[in-house]
Amino acid sequence: MIRLEDVTKWYDGRAVLDHVSLHLEPGMLWGLIGPAASGKSVLLKVVCGLIRPDEGRVIVDQRDITKDKESDIMETRRKFGMLFQNNALFDFMTVGENVAFPIYWGSDIEPDRLRSLSVKRLQDVGLSGSEDKVPSELSGGMKKRVGIARATIADPKIVIYDEPTAGLDPVTTSKIYDLLRNLQQRNESTVLAVSSDVQAIRGFVEHIAVIHQGRILYNGPERELDSCADPVVHQFIRGDADGPL
Amino acid sequence: MVQQNTQNGWKPIEDEGFWRRIPRRIGVSTLDAGKAAATLLWVLYRTVIGTVRGKRPKGEVLRQMEQVGNKSLLFVTVTIGFLGMVLVFQVCLQIEKITGDMSQVGPEFIKGMVHAFVPSLTAMMLATRVGAGIAAEIGSMMVTEQIDALRMCGVDPIDYLVVPRFIASLVMTLVLSVYATAISILAGALMAYTSYHVNPVMFFVFDKVTPGDAVIGVTKCLAFGAAIPVVSGYCGLTTRGGSEGVGSATTRAVINSSLAVIILDFIISAAGYYLLQSRGL
Amino acid sequence: MDAVQDKTTKAPRRNGQEDGPGPGQRLLSPVARLGAGILTLADHLGGIVVLLGATLWRLVPPRLDGDQLRRSLFKMGNQSVPIVALTAFFTGGIMVVQAGVFVKRFGATSLVGWGAGYAVFREIGPILIGLMFSGRVGSNNTAELGTMTVTEQIDGLRALAIDPISYLLVPRVLAMVFMLFALTIVGDVVAIGGAALFGKLLLNVEFGVFFQSFGWLGTADLFQGLIKASVFGVVIALTSCHFGITVKGGAVGVGRAVNAAVVAAAMGIVVSDYFLTYLLG
Repeated sequence: MIRLEDVTKWYDGRAVLDHVSLHLEPGMLWGLIGPAASGKSVLLKVVCGLIRPDEGRVIVDQRDITKDKESDIMETRRKFGMLFQNNALFDFMTVGENVAFPIYWGSDIEPDRLRSLSVKRLQDVGLSGSEDKVPSELSGGMKKRVGIARATIADPKIVIYDEPTAGLDPVTTSKIYDLLRNLQQRNESTVLAVSSDVQAIRGFVEHIAVIHQGRILYNGPERELDSCADPVVHQFIRGDADGPL
Repeated sequence: MVQQNTQNGWKPIEDEGFWRRIPRRIGVSTLDAGKAAATLLWVLYRTVIGTVRGKRPKGEVLRQMEQVGNKSLLFVTVTIGFLGMVLVFQVCLQIEKITGDMSQVGPEFIKGMVHAFVPSLTAMMLATRVGAGIAAEIGSMMVTEQIDALRMCGVDPIDYLVVPRFIASLVMTLVLSVYATAISILAGALMAYTSYHVNPVMFFVFDKVTPGDAVIGVTKCLAFGAAIPVVSGYCGLTTRGGSEGVGSATTRAVINSSLAVIILDFIISAAGYYLLQSRGL
Repeated sequence: MDAVQDKTTKAPRRNGQEDGPGPGQRLLSPVARLGAGILTLADHLGGIVVLLGATLWRLVPPRLDGDQLRRSLFKMGNQSVPIVALTAFFTGGIMVVQAGVFVKRFGATSLVGWGAGYAVFREIGPILIGLMFSGRVGSNNTAELGTMTVTEQIDGLRALAIDPISYLLVPRVLAMVFMLFALTIVGDVVAIGGAALFGKLLLNVEFGVFFQSFGWLGTADLFQGLIKASVFGVVIALTSCHFGITVKGGAVGVGRAVNAAVVAAAMGIVVSDYFLTYLLG
């Protein structure tokens, strides 16, 4: 479904991604963890074509998007839904308009039907009755839910979650992961999730990768992560203060 | 830039003297300017394409027209009104010393306003107000990843954000300039009457304005109206970093669109002089 | 950083809509809105006057950070010399083309130098250089102070028992006033050079003829422009500092403050220009 081959991206003379190769099967629940500024968000944006890599290939559904024109990448992006780190809700729209936006642009769905679809999806994420609010009236957890609703309304084949629980308390965190799990089971979509909260994301994904300074140090089943020999991975997942990091 | 140079095995910049640094600085800034110009031209190209056949959000052009036009009305009235009075005052001051014949002040002032001063000064004011607004708005959408979110929804940010502002600015710069011409003439006549007792009947004489002057004035308005949103949109779309990034994008938008106005003004004035005014049109 | 982003997300709707009527305000009558506008204006004017008083108070005897003053001077000069020179060069060109329109009709080639010099020294030079300086240095200053305010660095200074006004603002105000004065001299020279050059290239006016009539200008013309530049410097410095330290609402707020500051500075420049012309004329 998604294949990355030797992807490298430079920023100001520093490799943010350093020969990253990955392969994701359809329906996979895949997590990515790593210290701050390790290249996690850049990797996600490379996968969905928001950032063009300097070297290597990104293949989505047998199509190499690194060579595509922006208008062709737009088409490929319709297969994706994305939740951004700080939600990136459009602050000039209501919550309902935000959620409906991915299916509104470029389609001829009736306004009434758009509204009912977005109301329905807001119910699914536990936010009935807030479609006419503006994003600035919502709490952090509610904004995340709106972001999730917007990312999944078009029932995309691949959903990307960038820090789905950053800044949320533990109870809200587990509720959010329950929600993500339900949505994934219903749509059988492929999920890529990035988080700095190692324990919480380990309970959610089946496969996990560890990235550090632009390199993938571990990529494999979640339950075998503890037996990984790499000292950086070891220190990071245990949260030790002493070590190579 | 410094880091890359060091990596390529060049001497670190800090080791050089002030004068030896200048050629490199010119070289580096020429390269940067070249890249920036290429991106700017690409934004212009995409905007024009988007204007001709792109899809835009409903009602957005009207909303932007209100932003560019109605919201600038007070600003333009105050600035152009005062500038009109000052210009008449300065001109009369000199005429009083030399000949004392005030009969030509009005007609010549009106001619100068139509083909030169009003389009440029209105555009300078709009570059400040509208340019800063566009860059601040798009820049903060950039740093909060709303632009990426738009792209993930299959929306081209230029179609969605720049094109409506482009159309609105194109129309409203022209409209505001016509309005500003009226304001400046009224303010100038008021000044001439109160300070130099020039009869308004003698002031409001429009027959010095040739068709060529009008063509130059309108061309300037259209060029400035197109340049401001494209330059500011480019500045907004190249924002990096947090609140500092938004601040510097806004700064760049003001300065670059003002500079674009001045350079375009020079080019169109010179071209207009040669093609039209020097032939008596 | 987290604090900033938190404020950003809580900030009200995006910049452009900010000055429009909010959901609750929509029902307000025009009278109430006019009143609200006057109150906001009075609020800002009052803030600027208080800032002026606070700055003057710290100047007798001088209590300011010499290191900060040197750094501000260097940075502002560095930032704005190229942009001012470029602006002035093309302004000279524009003035000479406008003068050409008259020259052609009255056959008064000998007056080009005088006309361009008069306009540049007295009006166009100080105003355009002031606007560019406001766009470059003033808005940068607002963005910088605004970022320091939203990231609570100003409170941090207070916590260290450092007076933010004498440490941050007074050096900047002094540096901006001095810099604009110096830049206007530079700009005048470049503009006259540009006018002479384009006069030769476009109108075929020999340098000798140009500078002969240029010599008719008196020191009064030059000094009027320089006095204006000094006052514009005070206006730009105070507005940019005032809007910088009163920022609210994260990255979006910084962009909005920069926007408001340049608009206010442009109004201030034009209005004070009117009164100065009247007083000095």
